[in-house]
Amino acid sequence: MTTITQSGVTALPVKKAARAEGMPFIHQVSTMTARAFRNSLRVPFAIIPGVLISIFFLFIYTGTLGDAAGFLPGLRGQSYLGFILPLSVLSAALSGSSLAGDGIVRDIENGYFDKLMLTPANRAALLLGHMISGAFLLVIQTGIVISVAVLMGLEPATGIGGVLALMGISLLLGTAFAGLPVGVALMSGSSAATSGASFLFFPLSFLTASFVPLNLLSGWIETAAYLNPVTYVIEAGRALLNTGWDGDVILRGFSSILLMAAIFFTFALFALRVRMKRK
Amino acid sequence: MNGEIIGEGLIKQFGNYTAVSGVSFKVETGEVFGFLGPNGAGKSTTVAMLTTLALPTQGRALVGGHDVVTEAADVRRIAGVALQEIGLDPIMKSMELLTIQGQLFGMSRREARDRAMELLTIVKLDEPGVMDRRVGKYSGGMRRRLDLALALVHRPRILFLDEPTTGLDPASRRDVWNEVRRLNREYGMTIFLTTQYLEEADELAQRIAIIDKGQIAIEGKPADLKAALGGESINLTFDTPETAMQAQDAVQHMADRTQLDRNVLRLYRPKAAEIVSPVVSVLNDGGFSPSALTLSAPTLDDVFLQVTGQRYEEDAGTGPVAETFARRGKSADKKAS
Repeated sequence: MTTITQSGVTALPVKKAARAEGMPFIHQVSTMTARAFRNSLRVPFAIIPGVLISIFFLFIYTGTLGDAAGFLPGLRGQSYLGFILPLSVLSAALSGSSLAGDGIVRDIENGYFDKLMLTPANRAALLLGHMISGAFLLVIQTGIVISVAVLMGLEPATGIGGVLALMGISLLLGTAFAGLPVGVALMSGSSAATSGASFLFFPLSFLTASFVPLNLLSGWIETAAYLNPVTYVIEAGRALLNTGWDGDVILRGFSSILLMAAIFFTFALFALRVRMKRK
Repeated sequence: MNGEIIGEGLIKQFGNYTAVSGVSFKVETGEVFGFLGPNGAGKSTTVAMLTTLALPTQGRALVGGHDVVTEAADVRRIAGVALQEIGLDPIMKSMELLTIQGQLFGMSRREARDRAMELLTIVKLDEPGVMDRRVGKYSGGMRRRLDLALALVHRPRILFLDEPTTGLDPASRRDVWNEVRRLNREYGMTIFLTTQYLEEADELAQRIAIIDKGQIAIEGKPADLKAALGGESINLTFDTPETAMQAQDAVQHMADRTQLDRNVLRLYRPKAAEIVSPVVSVLNDGGFSPSALTLSAPTLDDVFLQVTGQRYEEDAGTGPVAETFARRGKSADKKAS
């Protein structure tokens, strides 16, 4: 069909369109990523509260519990700041994870998604743009939170490598979490449902060894914390900041993230198929 | 080059509700085809099927020779679509939207930017003050024109316009009309246009189909459809429907056909102007005094009334209705004077 169009008609300016099999996938992704990133910067209020709240938590926890840390058996000789920072980073990852879902649901609601669907663009590229841009912003947010902690006197046990590893954890965790709101966005097309989905993470971040070490928990909350994959992610972060390169703990943390990523992405892909299916 | 659009027995059901119930038509290459009907008649659903956004429950459609179900990607490549719901991201700028669209259709960034600039000039959105603004700040007319530009990015040979002027002020509507004519004339683009405005279909379409309750009620050239109604009409407005009905008895014998629409009586016959004065004297003798008398050529409105048994305006919502009425009135007055 391409050849017919190209050779058959010279009077009509269709040759560019006829040739187009769409741009390479990687270009589509980078184009859509740049666009999503630019959009986020235009609405800074979507990002700023997440950062502020993470920093706020950091101040509150260290302010109220910091001095008590010396009395906690599991924490003796360790920095409470290093202990609590992973929780703050987690909260930054949480708020960052909602950006992708928000961007997608906005596209669906204002009809732009349909416009993109009418192009030969790869459907996955339309989602990946938002997700990668969200991940970028999340890294920036995490960087800000960690910088504040350093200003507050944080001295990570694993040095700069550990800080980078912590940012890596935040990036992976935020991206894994993003699967859920993205899936809900695709499934429902509703911004209310999408922001609701992010709240599901709230218990995950508290049914864990939030404020005291895991071995001080007891009863049902101990069980919940042991079952909660987020626990192991926080433990990995704490090891990096307070104790050093503890291979087992860090590996457990990363495996937990992969487990969550597998679950949430399976859901997101399923939702994508539902959305793309012509009705 | 194939710019045909063919629908064969298209049916679309949503659960128990049948939105489109067996629609067949053929649009020739380079033709402007008007798909006319009130809200909820099935126009947008038909467009959704033709543009690969929805699957037909039954039936088949070919756009430019490509099956909309099995060759959706080919259809997307040769067809441009401006949907009724304008799909623009409000926090982006026109240049960004157009460039991304062009790139996704396979243009280089440079090509896409050139094409974007070209289109912005065409739809008259190329002033710096306009280009710097986010499209969320645009007026309805500007948004509509940008949406049209987006549909044209990949130089489609077939263009679908789903109610392109709904909600526009008369001046913007004119602009869109001129652009539709130009695209058709200069590029030989096949244009499938849905509208709820009779006047719009009459102005733009070489052929129209009237769709009502999911089915095509009648199809043909606007002039032929009007001619089939039989000549011009004298329109007499009375104070009450009852008076109009009595007047109908008095003058019925003077016309080929009469039609009563509330308090308006229409007398149809070729060269109706010649009988104006006898009609008036018969009415005077009978003691009827019409509050207005106009003379008009048949309109698509009359065609619609004829084929669906109801006056078009009753179904078509509020805003546009008054305008259709006003315009009809105006053109009729001019002819009468």
